[in-house]
Amino acid sequence: MLQTTRQYTRTALMAAEVVLKEMAVDSFIMFTIVIQPLIIALLGLWMLRDRPDAAIYVVVGSGMSGLWSSMVFISGNSINAERWTGTLEMLVAMPTPLYVVTAGRNLAHVMQSLLSMIAAYAVASLFMGYALDIDHPLLFIPSLFFTVVAFISFGLIMAPIFILSPAVDQFKNGLEFPIFVLCGFLFPIALLPEWTTPFSYLLTPYWAARALHESAHGGGDVGVVLASWAILLLSTVIYVAVSRRLFRVILRRVREDGTLGLA
Amino acid sequence: MSIAIEVQNLRRVYRASTSILGREKKEIVAVSDVSFDIKQGELFGLLGPNGAGKTTTVKMLATLLIPTSGTATIAGYDVVHQAQKVRESIGFIFGGERGLYWRLSGEDNLRYFASLYRLDPSEAKKRIPYLIELVGLKGRENEKIEGYSRGMKQRLHIARTLLHDPDILFLDEPTIGLDPVGARELRSIVRDLQSEKKTILLTTHYMFEADALCDRIGVIKHGEIVALDTPQNLKQGVQDLSVIEMEVYGIGSEVLDKLRAQPHVDSVSLEDREQKQALVIQSSHGSEIVQDVINNLNGYRVERVVVREPTLEDAYVRLVGG
Repeated sequence: MLQTTRQYTRTALMAAEVVLKEMAVDSFIMFTIVIQPLIIALLGLWMLRDRPDAAIYVVVGSGMSGLWSSMVFISGNSINAERWTGTLEMLVAMPTPLYVVTAGRNLAHVMQSLLSMIAAYAVASLFMGYALDIDHPLLFIPSLFFTVVAFISFGLIMAPIFILSPAVDQFKNGLEFPIFVLCGFLFPIALLPEWTTPFSYLLTPYWAARALHESAHGGGDVGVVLASWAILLLSTVIYVAVSRRLFRVILRRVREDGTLGLA
Repeated sequence: MSIAIEVQNLRRVYRASTSILGREKKEIVAVSDVSFDIKQGELFGLLGPNGAGKTTTVKMLATLLIPTSGTATIAGYDVVHQAQKVRESIGFIFGGERGLYWRLSGEDNLRYFASLYRLDPSEAKKRIPYLIELVGLKGRENEKIEGYSRGMKQRLHIARTLLHDPDILFLDEPTIGLDPVGARELRSIVRDLQSEKKTILLTTHYMFEADALCDRIGVIKHGEIVALDTPQNLKQGVQDLSVIEMEVYGIGSEVLDKLRAQPHVDSVSLEDREQKQALVIQSSHGSEIVQDVINNLNGYRVERVVVREPTLEDAYVRLVGG
């Protein structure tokens, strides 16, 4: 058991290393995770130029947008890229379960997209002169950790769906912006119509955004942050359990349908 | 000698949608009914024309496709219900350049796959340099493989599939697209694996390759095995034939039909070779019909005529039709 866990951890980290090496030379990916969130951050900072206290909200929000774009676009794209290059079949036929590899890949996507938060932070503080103090660093750092874990597990739910068929890939475009809005990455969901609120509550990224915003810029209400952590943890456990089952069912289905490869 | 691979009545049907909404489905039978056994340490060849079901059969054995019906066991493990055990026991190559991470170096590819094959890092550290040396990639292992030639990628695939030292190997057209030198080097590696008593299932289009390497050959046509024997015995099956080869120019299908209708002509095939064409006629009457054939080619330029003994390719052509 311990040996298997060690082996799986090693493989997941190796998968993360492979992704990081491959992505470092891909300009589309660098745009998605660094430049696009930076543009969002600059627009947000310009729109809120009269409210310097909101700058950290924008920086954290743009970082979250990078995180989500990375999850939706790059996770989906990378699975289809593996299908095109024939490596998806290789991965499925390996003794290591595919969810282990996917977890490692998601870790790499999340780590890399955190770059966008750092880039936005650097631009706002170094070039635009904002004082970007994080109000409650002791709450912010664990919030960031729970966010990363929750996004990795959320990616574990999405990956098997992308494996199902190349056609699923077409729907990912529609998943990006609604989540930016519904999860309050860039402005509080209180500004949205009331009927949208239940949808926000169902989405893990909303709780991640809430924990990060509250600890970085909000009142630092410990109750709100702790509740967000609890929901993030609970959703992580649920996502991991569901994804294991989903991987089993979908991998069986694609082996029945013969849609793993292209030939 | 015990059985390493046992295949019984394997069948695979694909369902393809034929309408825009995908409600109408058409069934395509890729493998109709395939049965064979491969003994431990045997090199078994699976030959057949494009679309005959070779790759589909290999993919079912490698656990990438679930058979529609029938059973297959690898090292005693069922390919559907014990897929994980099967994956630990086998190595596989699908011909061509796909299946590698092009932006990584050869060594990084092997490190990643070693991890996926659950090799201990200390074991991988010893095994990777050994395999790089074995497949002749020493000195190039740190280059990104997008700069590798096709032959180098194919050799890297061989190294990848040997990482966990499996006893059973599936090699699906491993020499496809390689230049003659590359193909010869790869065949030499396969021979070495054979001498190590690996059980190998090889699919190929190249008859001389199958003849030179395989202990037994199964010929597959329209998803069914139409012949299964040693290369020698398959050739014996066409010993009654002679083969007439002619270099010709500008021959069309109507001429081929005319030749096929001639008495004592068993089969006729035509192959384009740059500007020339190679006309191959199998006949039990050999040189006796050469003049009749030439008479039927009146008006066409004919060069070099050779009458020779049949080869495995001739046996294959008779079995799959030509």
